[in-house]
Amino acid sequence: MDRTYFPVLLLLGFVIVNAVAMLGLSALTLRSRPTPVKQTAYESGIPPLGDARERFSVKFYMVAVLFIIFDIETVFMIPWGAHYQQLSCAVPLVGGACPAGQISFFGLGEMLVFVAILLVGFIYVWKKGALQWD
Amino acid sequence: MSNAFQPVVAGSACATDAPAPATPRNVPLAGGDANPSAAALQRQFGDAVAGTSVVRGETNVVVANARLLDVVRWLHDDPSQRYEYLSDVTAVEFRDPEQPIEVVWHLRSLAYRQFLRLKVELPRGAELTVPSIWTVYASADWMERECYDMFGITFAGHPDLRRILMWEDYREGFPLRKDFPLRGRFSRSEQLRQALAANPEARYSMEELSVADAFADLPTEMRRRLRAGEKAGE
Amino acid sequence: MGLTPSPESAVSYAPVSQEGWVATKLDFLVNWARANSLWPMPFGTACCAIEFMASAASDFDLARFGMERMSFSPRQADVLICAGRVPFKLAPILRRIWQQMPQPKWAISMGACASSGGMFDNYAVVQGIDTIIPVDVYVPGCPPRPEGLIYGIMLLQEKVKKERAADKTLRNEMDPDPKSQLYIPPSLIDQISEPFGNSVHQTRSSL
Repeated sequence: MDRTYFPVLLLLGFVIVNAVAMLGLSALTLRSRPTPVKQTAYESGIPPLGDARERFSVKFYMVAVLFIIFDIETVFMIPWGAHYQQLSCAVPLVGGACPAGQISFFGLGEMLVFVAILLVGFIYVWKKGALQWD
Repeated sequence: MSNAFQPVVAGSACATDAPAPATPRNVPLAGGDANPSAAALQRQFGDAVAGTSVVRGETNVVVANARLLDVVRWLHDDPSQRYEYLSDVTAVEFRDPEQPIEVVWHLRSLAYRQFLRLKVELPRGAELTVPSIWTVYASADWMERECYDMFGITFAGHPDLRRILMWEDYREGFPLRKDFPLRGRFSRSEQLRQALAANPEARYSMEELSVADAFADLPTEMRRRLRAGEKAGE
Repeated sequence: MGLTPSPESAVSYAPVSQEGWVATKLDFLVNWARANSLWPMPFGTACCAIEFMASAASDFDLARFGMERMSFSPRQADVLICAGRVPFKLAPILRRIWQQMPQPKWAISMGACASSGGMFDNYAVVQGIDTIIPVDVYVPGCPPRPEGLIYGIMLLQEKVKKERAADKTLRNEMDPDPKSQLYIPPSLIDQISEPFGNSVHQTRSSL
């Protein structure tokens, strides 16, 4: 296993121990006194009115889904950007630089195709009015 | 509501060469210039107007109980009066048991910059009922509820006359009447017992919800229950 | 706690000198943590709420007591600070909010109106919230100065630090009589709500 990931494992372990200790120590010292009124839903001191599960508008869901899609698109651009220098070179890099005359537009072209596909989808979403809040 | 709201600019109906409004100084306790609406009322409703007086620069007009709604509607609708703002609906019970109970309405004309106080006298021993002016002023809804809660005056034609300051099934009486002791009629423990048994949010009226414009956002089930007049809560 | 009657208020647990070292230190640790992180629920109804806000602001700063995180939901609060007069119409709401607070919880009655009804000895105001909920600290004043409230908070901190885990009655919920919803006897309520001073003659009606 790569030694560079050991701190991550350590952090994970520490977080778990911390959370378990906080909850566990509280559970040892707590004195639970449940009563029926205590367990009713809180509604500013009045008996709860109406149903907690109610319908809400679909526009919230639309925003979330569209965000996910275009956010993933952005995420895919990150490794592409990290290796852009290699992707724009027809031959493997020599000493961190591209040999003269070997510039290629392969990497750029690939990403543009990817973005163009998603652009079609974006224009569809726009025209359909999914970006309109009201 | 029926009409779209038209904002009124204060003083828009006053004469253009009228002096700028200023705080009145040296106002006599009685006498002085009466509000021109008092004379207009006298002309329009001769027999319904029982009396006019000017106290500290404010005009009081005593009106007959039966004609009150007509008077108020005329004051609201007539273009020469335009009393579009109802400030308050309240009542007065004097310590002297000979004097009648007065129900008081405070009207303001923003366009003409006028203030008028209408009174109806209810003799002691008579039924404490006056017409409700809710159809003219929507704000009379809660003001009349408060007047009912505190004095026990019934407003005929009110859509939802129930207590507003005290809880709905408050049984001790009407607090601001002169025969109501300051600390209430029941013992403190009994008052607490009754208060703790009350559910202060038992019933929302349709008006209360439409004011907040929340009705459309309520869940369907809740809307159906409210329309059916079902009491909410436990 | 306040007016709550506790038949087992006699010491039924060992005095501090006989407790073990671990129990004592655990008590100290838990109480220290609780006392220095009391999250208040400001049940502010009137003028005392303004003074409470002033206490929380920069000049008097409640943050140094760990109380800057106000909780307006009772679920996350430790201490209910009732600041202001409580009308009878609000009484069931205050009672319900208190009952919805999880243990450990304390109550501070801030101001004259919350402690005894204040200047409002009339048909509409509860004559002291200790008739509705058990109160730990009363802070008199109309309104109390921020220094007064802070003194009351410090008294509560001392009370919290003196608590012991061995005392099983500490975290008991109040138990109102199901028929009347009163948690103290009605005669006691009438006794502590007796008028005094100017209020004595206010029980008559008419002239």
